[in-house]
Amino acid sequence: MKKIAILPLSLIIFGTACSSDNDNVDSTLPTICEAGEQTCPTDCYECLRGESIDFCYTFTDDIELGNFNIEIHNNFDHHTHSTSSVECELNEKKSAVNAWVYNQDYSIPDGLTTYTPNISIVIPTNIDTGDYHFMIRLTDKAGWQQLRSVAIKVVG
Amino acid sequence: MFTCLISAVALAAVDSVVTLDDVIVNAVAEHNYRQNTSQSNIQIGSGYITTHASGSLMQTLEHLPGVQAMSVGSGQSKPAIRGLGFNRMVVSENGIKHEGQQWGDDHGLEIDQFAVDRIEVVKGPAALTCGSDAIGGVINLYTNSIPIDAIQGSAQIIGRTSNDQFGASAKIGGLNKRFFYRVHATWIDYADSRVPTDSIQYYSYYIKLHNGRLRNTAGKERDASLMLGYLGYEFHTDLRVSNTYAQSGFFANAHGLEVRLSDIDYDSSTRDVDLPYQWVNHFKAQSHTVCTGYYSTASLNVAFQRNVREEHSEPISHGYMPTPDGTLERRFDKNTITATLDLKLNTEYFGSYDLGVNYEHQRNKRDGWGFIIPAFNSSSVGVYLAHKKECSFLDGDRNIGIRFDRANMRIYSYSDWYQTPTSDGDSAYVQRSADITRKFKSLTWSYGMNFEVEENWHVKVNLGKSFRTPIPKELGADGINYHIFRYEKGNSSLKAEKSYQLDMSVAYSDDRFRFNVDPFFNYFSNYIYLSPTADYVEGMQLYSYKQARVMRYGFEAQVEYLIGGGFNVEATGEYLYAKQLSGDKKGYTLPFSAPWSVETILHYNFGRHTAWVNLNARYVGKQDRIVPPEKATDGHLTVDASLMKVFRCNRLMVNLSVQANNLFNRRYYDHTSYYRLIDVPETGRNFTAVVGVTF
Repeated sequence: MKKIAILPLSLIIFGTACSSDNDNVDSTLPTICEAGEQTCPTDCYECLRGESIDFCYTFTDDIELGNFNIEIHNNFDHHTHSTSSVECELNEKKSAVNAWVYNQDYSIPDGLTTYTPNISIVIPTNIDTGDYHFMIRLTDKAGWQQLRSVAIKVVG
Repeated sequence: MFTCLISAVALAAVDSVVTLDDVIVNAVAEHNYRQNTSQSNIQIGSGYITTHASGSLMQTLEHLPGVQAMSVGSGQSKPAIRGLGFNRMVVSENGIKHEGQQWGDDHGLEIDQFAVDRIEVVKGPAALTCGSDAIGGVINLYTNSIPIDAIQGSAQIIGRTSNDQFGASAKIGGLNKRFFYRVHATWIDYADSRVPTDSIQYYSYYIKLHNGRLRNTAGKERDASLMLGYLGYEFHTDLRVSNTYAQSGFFANAHGLEVRLSDIDYDSSTRDVDLPYQWVNHFKAQSHTVCTGYYSTASLNVAFQRNVREEHSEPISHGYMPTPDGTLERRFDKNTITATLDLKLNTEYFGSYDLGVNYEHQRNKRDGWGFIIPAFNSSSVGVYLAHKKECSFLDGDRNIGIRFDRANMRIYSYSDWYQTPTSDGDSAYVQRSADITRKFKSLTWSYGMNFEVEENWHVKVNLGKSFRTPIPKELGADGINYHIFRYEKGNSSLKAEKSYQLDMSVAYSDDRFRFNVDPFFNYFSNYIYLSPTADYVEGMQLYSYKQARVMRYGFEAQVEYLIGGGFNVEATGEYLYAKQLSGDKKGYTLPFSAPWSVETILHYNFGRHTAWVNLNARYVGKQDRIVPPEKATDGHLTVDASLMKVFRCNRLMVNLSVQANNLFNRRYYDHTSYYRLIDVPETGRNFTAVVGVTF
């Protein structure tokens, strides 16, 4: 009567055999690469009000890139480190009066595995000077996300 | 009789079972129980709970094959049955569905684990008796065992090294003539959790830990309950009122919109709870009445539950949201009324019938400056009929059941409390959630058999359909989830989730050897899934709710052998596979898919069943079938050991138990842990000691 045990066992063997299939799905994150000498902004980058930041990083993905977002917020309270190992010298802590807030979603054309956006971000003239975080967020089509945080300083 | 009918719930909920700690006796009881139903299930008594005490009820339960504890931080965890957790399974207390904020992935169960006398786990669809949500199964907790003496009680103290936890619990009760009472109180305090690492890397942020502790994960728990009842031969009624309160800190370095350094000096004390933190209070009053006749039993269960939860954090501005006043980020206030009327009829020739109706009404309010789910009201009514009959061609029973449910949901609109500039140069209070009214209907059924094939061999087969109505978060969420750095968007046109499952169980047992294997196959025609997209909203990655076809299968197996001379050896294993068959994430698995695991336990009892030693090795396989944003998790081996001794002195019984977990201090990650996403390893070597007195 041990035959009765054969049924569930064969189900299990069938099941585990099926599960060894490779589902061929995207399982890697996109990357935010520096674009050589033109890379901008880099850590500890200093800039002036009224000037513009000429964004230059290269995005890559093994299958297809998604979209990206650039967000800039103040670090007057020294709330976090950047994602890089470089430590930039920070100004004294202070409270924001009219801190710069920038938050823009960008799309990447369909079907690309490499993309270098051409964006120029004008620094408003009426904002507080000081330490800021320049956040780059990038997705691929499958929904994997990569982050990069760069510490910048508006000096005057 | 008529009044009895009206004032009458589930027979199983009347709990006067006296639980024995002896492992073998339990095994026999379990075996008999197994034969009573066509679903895979496990029964556990309080002895198990005491000897496996490990911080939370669910961590205690994770040793059961097919049950997983999804750790949500601070020693808190949520249950999952065969990988389905949150709203895809039901936790019930004394036959009443336990209402928490089930969807919340950052707080525990809100149940006093020391008050639990007995546990029953049903693996597989249990829509028939539980209605919506019971797709993965049900964990039935019983906290209502009736005292057998005029006065009896017990007290326990528990200490744990991994988070310097100290707890005490006491209960007293008595049965005088036909009236009985029970009072229970529990007090627990714990410090920041220790992890075997000195730093954590999250999205390449490098977070240094102070003395290997997760900053601000301390907390406390205060629980109390009172039960009064009348126990007659044909009539039984009781009223149980309980309140559980828990406060716990969130890991300070990974909460909010970004990895933040705060001015709060978290490292000055390991026992204080600073911002960000949460508290949860759960009040429950339940009345349970049963009338037993010669051929019939009628029961009525009525409960009121109030569930309040607040999350507090440092007010910070984000985007166009100015710095808010106060620390109240979110508040949820949930009120639920549940009632079940059940009638069981036993006939001599036509088998037994179980007919019932249950009703639930919920009101949910929200508050705070952070929005994630809207306020809503919901109500549902379900009617069921089940029939059990002896099978003429097999030595066993045939079970069949059908149920119809109707649910209404009313979601209230919500707009931001601050203004956002619009494209035309003006500014507006952006609406985050619209008014939504939805109605759901579901017809579910179950068909199963359980029979003895030959002496010692027992087989169960069950096929069932279950369902789940979408929760308001899935229908109406439209905001940033501050815990996980993402933007979540609901979908107001989601349909009720439907699941079909085939379960089997084959068991063998004789005097020395016990074996069972429980395979299952499960298909969802429209699994609701929060899918990460390639898009951004307000600087956060957009996650939106989608429905997809999903296939799952797996099995649990268990072998136990009584070696003799006080030794017995046990091995359990589980395997689970899930795959999305359609939609955005076709080919991917489901989030938090538990990897395969094997556990072997060597028990030794000596001193005439007054002392036990257990040695336990668990290997969990590698999980590389993942979905964004998960990470593959390596396999790991952990070894636990425990020792328990009982001293008897007249009516007094003292028991001592010491448990060592992760004996070799292995640093490993749990794929199903919420903290896995931020690379927080599981607890290292830690000891738990329990001293209990029973009289």
